[in-house]
Order: sequence, then structure tokens, then C-alpha cells
Amino acid sequence: MYSYAYHELGDHHDAEDATERTFLAALAALPRFQERARPADGDGASTFRVWLFQIARNTVANQRRRQRRHLTAPLDAASAVADGQDVSAGAVRREDAAAAWRAVERLPADRRQALVLRFVDEMSTAEIAGILGRSEGAVRVLVHRALRAVARDLDRGGHP
Amino acid sequence: MRSGRSPAISTAAGTRDERRARVDPVTLDRDAASADALLTDLYLDALLAGAVLDAAREGADPTANPGLDPAARRAADRLRRDLLRVHPSFRFEERLATRLAEAAMSMRLPAAAGAEGRLVPFRPLPYADLPDDGDGDRDEPRDRSRPFLIGGALTSAALSLAGAAFVAWRRGKPRRSTAPMVRAARAARSARLASTGSGASRRGRRGPARAPRSLD
Repeated sequence: MYSYAYHELGDHHDAEDATERTFLAALAALPRFQERARPADGDGASTFRVWLFQIARNTVANQRRRQRRHLTAPLDAASAVADGQDVSAGAVRREDAAAAWRAVERLPADRRQALVLRFVDEMSTAEIAGILGRSEGAVRVLVHRALRAVARDLDRGGHP
Repeated sequence: MRSGRSPAISTAAGTRDERRARVDPVTLDRDAASADALLTDLYLDALLAGAVLDAAREGADPTANPGLDPAARRAADRLRRDLLRVHPSFRFEERLATRLAEAAMSMRLPAAAGAEGRLVPFRPLPYADLPDDGDGDRDEPRDRSRPFLIGGALTSAALSLAGAAFVAWRRGKPRRSTAPMVRAARAARSARLASTGSGASRRGRRGPARAPRSLD
């Protein structure tokens, strides 16, 4: 949850705010939650995570609208990726990570959200479809096109 | 000897073919896009499950599927490496757990709502029980873990949303010390209760017992 908010908002404090709002909203709405998992989905399957992320998506979207800030690549997170033993390799790695984050940030909202949910939260296509309110096929195409756009962006050296 | 379709049917089929020929470019494009997207999706499933890394380690070519879009594959590999999962600080989790507990109290949720519930076990994590070697770096077996940020520090622990739930659970649970003296005191108390007869039945006649004094 926090991770999704962080990738969408690009700031630790904003992500904490969004996470807190999401959980509080979920707590208030908990009596209205309806389990939609079917027996065919397997033992222990639940739509609770999808429901929670639907709330998070709305919360984060509202926060983005409120702030209207231009997001910058969260370099503080990228810096932690670097290997402290090898300074030069660390710098390259840091720059690579920042370029990838910038490429994702430049995507349209639906493509960006689909990629973050797929790669960061490691959600299945079905879960993402539930969160974004689209069919699974549409989400597959969305992710595929987003990846192609990211590849094009990175091939250009990360320049729009 | 006649073979093939009658002229009428051929004409009709031809008309259908002509109609299909007008539609096909779009339909085919859409089908091709769906097929590409499906292949990419399968690759992502394997990639995120670590199967691609395992295959590469064993010398197999993970790009063996010729239908896989190379650009999509390249971007997927890159994003898997660079889009990190970020974890909030434990201090934030503690604060959030407290805040949620207060909110739940203020909502005055009916007690029956909790009483009706049943315990649902968390799915066990294969490496969750590994002892911490003290340096804060808990490597996941088979190196399938992705880098993981906790409050700005890099680790590979598999804590995520479960963290908040765990903190909330831990705060509500009375601590149970495992110190030798405490264990000995517990054992002595159990033995004393056993030797003085069924304390439980006496308590049953007298009504609810006092809560045992904590030995912690």
C-alpha cells in the first residue's frame, strides 16, 4: 500500500499521508466490504486486497489532484539501491534506476498505475483489472503497451 | 462431376470474404496486440515468480519464446530490477496501528463483530522464520528476493502490509517472557494447581476467577 502510494506520489511524507488516509477510509467502510471471491478462485482467495487498493487508488488520485505538483524522480530511493562498496558502479546503478523511474512517471496515469501494481505490488492481471475497473484482456494490453513505451523512452536515453 | 461449392454459395462466400477483407486489418491488429500482450503477461508471471532467473542460472535461454516482444521483455527486465518495493518506517507503522486502534475504538464497533470472526492464518513465508544474523540483512533463499526499502534502508525482508497487522497484533497481545526464571515459576505454579486439585472446577462454582497475576 505504502509502496504504491510512494511510487504514485514520489514523496515519503505524502505516501505516509495517503497510506494513513487509505486505512482509515477502509476502516470506516469495512462494514460495507463484500467478499467477491468465488470457490473456483481457490482456497483462501479474497478480494479484500483489490478492495483496499481501489480505496488507495482514489485516495492517491485525490492527493495528486490536490497537490498538482510536478513529480520528480524519487532519487532518495534510487540512491539506496547503490552498492556502498563500489562507488562508480553505484553511481551508474543509481542513474539507471532514476531513468527507469522517470520513464514510468511520464506514462499516462492508467498505464503507470498498471505497471506499478504489476511490478511493485506484484499483483496478478486479474487483481489489477479489479482495481482499475477493466477487463483482464484490457489490462494485459495496457501493460504491454506501457512496457513498449518505457522501452522506447529508455532507448532514447530517457529524454522525452 | 461437380466439385466444390455451388455458384450461389461461392458468391455468398466471396461476399463474406470481401466483407472480411475490409474488416480484417483492424481485427487482425487487435488480435495480434492481444496475442503479444498475452505472451508478455506470461513472461511477466514467470519473471516476477523468479522462474526466469532460475532458468538463466541453469543455462536455459529465458528468451526462447520467439513471439515475445523484445522491447517489452527488455523493459520488463529493467523495471523488475529498478522499480523497488518501498516500505515505510516501523515508527510510521506503529503510529498508524495506534491511530487505527483509536479510530476503531471511537467507531464503537459492536463487540459481536469481532466475536463472530475466526482466525485466518497468514500464508507462511518460506524464509520468515530464518534467524536474523544481526546485520539486518536477511537473505532470501535462492536469491529470489527483490530489493526492499524500509525507511530508506535496503533489506530483503518480506514484510509489507503484514507489518502493520503484525504491529497491531503485537501491541494487543500480552508479552510472554521466555526467561528461565519465569518459565520455572510458571512450571511451579502449574504443578501447584495440579496438586491442589481441579482449580478450574472450584472456580467454576464460585464464578469467574480473578485473572492470574502476570509473571512477566
